[in-house]
Amino acid sequence: MLIELKGVHKTYDNGQPLHVLKGIDLEIEKGEFVSIMGASGSGKSTLLNILGILDNYDEGEYHLAGKLIKNLSERESATYRNQMIGFVFQSFNLIGFKTAVENVELPLFYQGVNRHRRHEAAMAYLEKMGLTGWASHYPNEMSGGQKQRVAIARALITHPEIILADEPTGALDSKTSVEVMELLTRLNREDGVTIIVVTHESGVANCADKIVHIKDGLIERIEDNRQHHSSMFGTDTIMK
Amino acid sequence: MRDLLQEIWESLRRNKVRTCLTGLAVAWGIFMLIVLVGAGNGLLNAFLSDTGNGFASNTMLVGGGRTSKPYDGFKQGRRISIKDKDMDILRDPQFSDKVDLISTSLSKSGYTMTYGRRYFTNVMLTGTYPSDAEMNRVKMLAGRFINQKDITDKRKVIIITHLHAKNFLTGGTDYERLLGQSVKVGNLSFTIIGVRHGEENTDDRELYVPYSTIKSIFGLSDDVDGVTFSFHGLTTEAESDAFEKEVRTAFNAAHRAAPDDNSAVWIWNRFSQYLQTEKAKSLLITALWIIGLFTLISGVVGVSNIMLITVKERTHEFGIRKALGARPGSILKLIVTESVLITAFFGYIGMLLGMIACEILDATVGQSKVVIFGESMKMLDNPTVGLGTAIGATVVLIVAGTLAGIFPARQAASVKPIEALRAD
Repeated sequence: MLIELKGVHKTYDNGQPLHVLKGIDLEIEKGEFVSIMGASGSGKSTLLNILGILDNYDEGEYHLAGKLIKNLSERESATYRNQMIGFVFQSFNLIGFKTAVENVELPLFYQGVNRHRRHEAAMAYLEKMGLTGWASHYPNEMSGGQKQRVAIARALITHPEIILADEPTGALDSKTSVEVMELLTRLNREDGVTIIVVTHESGVANCADKIVHIKDGLIERIEDNRQHHSSMFGTDTIMK
Repeated sequence: MRDLLQEIWESLRRNKVRTCLTGLAVAWGIFMLIVLVGAGNGLLNAFLSDTGNGFASNTMLVGGGRTSKPYDGFKQGRRISIKDKDMDILRDPQFSDKVDLISTSLSKSGYTMTYGRRYFTNVMLTGTYPSDAEMNRVKMLAGRFINQKDITDKRKVIIITHLHAKNFLTGGTDYERLLGQSVKVGNLSFTIIGVRHGEENTDDRELYVPYSTIKSIFGLSDDVDGVTFSFHGLTTEAESDAFEKEVRTAFNAAHRAAPDDNSAVWIWNRFSQYLQTEKAKSLLITALWIIGLFTLISGVVGVSNIMLITVKERTHEFGIRKALGARPGSILKLIVTESVLITAFFGYIGMLLGMIACEILDATVGQSKVVIFGESMKMLDNPTVGLGTAIGATVVLIVAGTLAGIFPARQAASVKPIEALRAD
């Protein structure tokens, strides 16, 4: 079991306590393609933060690749994030003053990999994304789809246990959205990468093999979607 | 390290104007510091040049005085004059481990010195010993000083100053030509054996002759002007003062004055004076450093301020970095190094300009002279800073840069990785 959540609770306390996660139990196997769906305020972002070791939880247990992720120091959680998790964000989150290849290199920089080797690795992943020609371009010189592919290359470069994608198509038009989702699907099918996509778009969620529906801080149901018939708008399009 | 520098370079490049304006404040601060310390050094050099070079600092002069209290059957107010045999007091085992050279001098003035058709009226002849050359730092320009043989043979030899020599040579400076020539002082003939440097400012025109010579010519009594001696092994002012007291007690005893009578003999402790001067000097320099540092603080606050703004602007970026696995320490290092580099880079520009300003000061004000109380003296003498100040300023810059960076850096390091998820 790659990811194992048991009775995870999270309460935000900004003056008035807000109980966001009310006992989440979730298991995800290696190589799965899972999407987490829910309306805004359902707690899906909080769940993503916890899965990504970006935030702490109050109660329960979270095991990632056999390691208990709880009460880590900032240093430890930075190391775990770096080694086990690849992030793909809605707004790409590329660093604007770095070129595409420098952005892809960054996680390896924090692993202390030397300049030459990380450049090579980054170029290899950019090639895989079909972006070799764009390596020395800055993010503002690229289209949204290209930026997201750079971000995916950056997420993959450390060979993480999971790829966490937070609304990966949120800032893309429908055509590019399809391309990005196809890319993620291919990575899952061909390279066996474990992918978790958080979204509120049913079309995006429909790409996954398993859809976790979250409502009011609890898992409402887990839908088996290997047939990809979940979206009422069909299997081939992503409704924007 | 290269990666770190590259990161910082990229960050600075994006904010050129802001970085330069901030740097200007730092450069100004360190510029002021260097100019202040340089000018302070120049001022000290100018005021202390006479006392600083005129004699060896480890010497003491003892001269005659008047008793201030009755003692041993004598009334107070008795005149005490120093005799040449008082030199023996200092050869006593009590002092011999500290005292090195001993000399005495006897001056007679009111003579006319004649060389050919040229003459000086009212000159002063001073009989002295060879050791006086070292203790009073006599600068020989030609020939030699008095030696032991001159003393033993009571030779009629004389050392004139270059001010006399110039006159004898009608403005020439070929002092060697005068060596071996005769001059008449009063109605006695002396052979010139040396030409020494005479201080123009202080009317330093004494003519040196061997003590034994002047004694045999004029010395019916044993009275001398005073005894000069050098010593070693003292470091603090307290030690120096204690030693001075011992010397006073011994002289008082020899002249039958009360041991604690402070006016029976006159003592000029050049070592204590030297220590006091050094203390005053370091106090002044410290004060200038403090003023300079306060000026620098405004620059440092500026850097800190600008770094805080930078950190604020880059919050999202730091969030991304942390999400990708940057440890807090690596971000801390990034900001502190950036701060130190800004401070050091602009600080060095300021330091360089400050040193150039000091050189300009040296070339202009440093070469001019002013007349104070009838004495012409330099306003500033060598108003520059040494390597020590430069190193000190470097340390200050690095410390200042670190201090300026530490607050913003901590703020940057405490950015939550969730910031990365916040769409902006």
